[in-house]
Amino acid sequence: MLSIWMAVIIVAAFLYTEAAVGFPGETSRILFFHVPQAWVATLSFLVSMIASATYLAKRNLKADYLAQSAAELGFLFCVLATVTGSIFAKATWGSFWNWDPRETSIVILLMIYGAYFALRSAVPDPERKRVFAAVYSILAFTTVPFLIFVVPRITASLHPENTMNPTQPGMDPKTLKVFLGSLLAYTGLFVWMLRLKMRILRLEGLKEPRFGDFI
Amino acid sequence: MKGGRWTTQTGSSTYLSEAIAIWLRDLRIEFRTRYAVNAILMFAVTTLVAVSFSIGSFRIEASEKPFLYAVLLWIILVFSALSGLSRSFVKEEEAGTMDALRLSARPQAVFLGKLFFNLTLLGALELIIVPSFILLMKYEIEYPGFFAAMIISGGFGLGAGTTIVAAMIAQASARGALFSALSFPLLLPLMITAIKGCERAAIGMGTAGWAEVKIAVAYVMIMMVVSLFLFPLVWEE
Repeated sequence: MLSIWMAVIIVAAFLYTEAAVGFPGETSRILFFHVPQAWVATLSFLVSMIASATYLAKRNLKADYLAQSAAELGFLFCVLATVTGSIFAKATWGSFWNWDPRETSIVILLMIYGAYFALRSAVPDPERKRVFAAVYSILAFTTVPFLIFVVPRITASLHPENTMNPTQPGMDPKTLKVFLGSLLAYTGLFVWMLRLKMRILRLEGLKEPRFGDFI
Repeated sequence: MKGGRWTTQTGSSTYLSEAIAIWLRDLRIEFRTRYAVNAILMFAVTTLVAVSFSIGSFRIEASEKPFLYAVLLWIILVFSALSGLSRSFVKEEEAGTMDALRLSARPQAVFLGKLFFNLTLLGALELIIVPSFILLMKYEIEYPGFFAAMIISGGFGLGAGTTIVAAMIAQASARGALFSALSFPLLLPLMITAIKGCERAAIGMGTAGWAEVKIAVAYVMIMMVVSLFLFPLVWEE
């Protein structure tokens, strides 16, 4: 079902809509893939933080699985958004990387995810590992407001927002339809992958040695 | 028993008095071994000498100086801090005194005591490195008051952002590398702000209501409050 929807969106993104004016060639079609990827990366960061807080409050193993799965998927979508964004930057601004505020904040997000996985792998005790990862997730999340308000103060952004923001009235209705469909498809993909990952973690958890297994 | 924890019989010890006791104890240990001070200061001095030797005070054009010098100064300060601040908790783990500390003080008091100690170290670091940097590199600053406020509030931010991370990595393996990897993303917003603030102080383009200092102070407050909430979870068995 999801795969059919995704296929429809991909075909529609290239055939149904027209390329936006003001962008070289067909580059504006990145909107249908890059923006939902960035949206899912942000969403999974939020999900991971909320699940971490839930784990600290309730010590519920499922919440930790959710936090870990969301962080791993967030990292994946973060990399996808960075790579697609970088290709778009090369096509429109002339270089793959130039420390645009958006690029800066996504790199910090990648570093936070990297640190999160490094911390998880470095703590041997499973209970303590879960607590530390949750604490770090919340700590990292508290620095996000600074990134949103501080980094844009440093330099002006070249990131297209006003030209392609769906909340602005300027967007072509066809584009808007496909864009919202794509957002839905990516969110659906995220939920599906999240549930798969959580099942894997749960099954691996069953395999973990427990007290009494060594008799 | 009160709130799940044993409290002292006399009830005379407060959070602050416990924190100050831990702070003074750490200072005394530090005066005997001088491990953290040596590690941080030698790192900072070596980096400063390397920067000063390779760039000198005439190689960078006057118009570029305010920004590039602010960047270099904060790179020296942040990485020196990252090289030594994890000692505050790692030394407890190595000496096997973690459990004694857990028994003798409340978690928040331990956090505050270690924070005071780290801030003392950072103060000593800044007191030595910043004037030497200004002298060696001929850093001309239009607004010394704003510059000093930025350095001090940035130093507080370095301490507030890293103390709880130090507590976590002391209980993990691969401590040294992990401390930098975990702290750096948390410190980056502060570092960007501090560089911007120092640049504006040097260039003299108006203090604009000390916006950068305010951001750094807000960072210190938020990190301290969040750390005080989260520290008991990290600290207790």
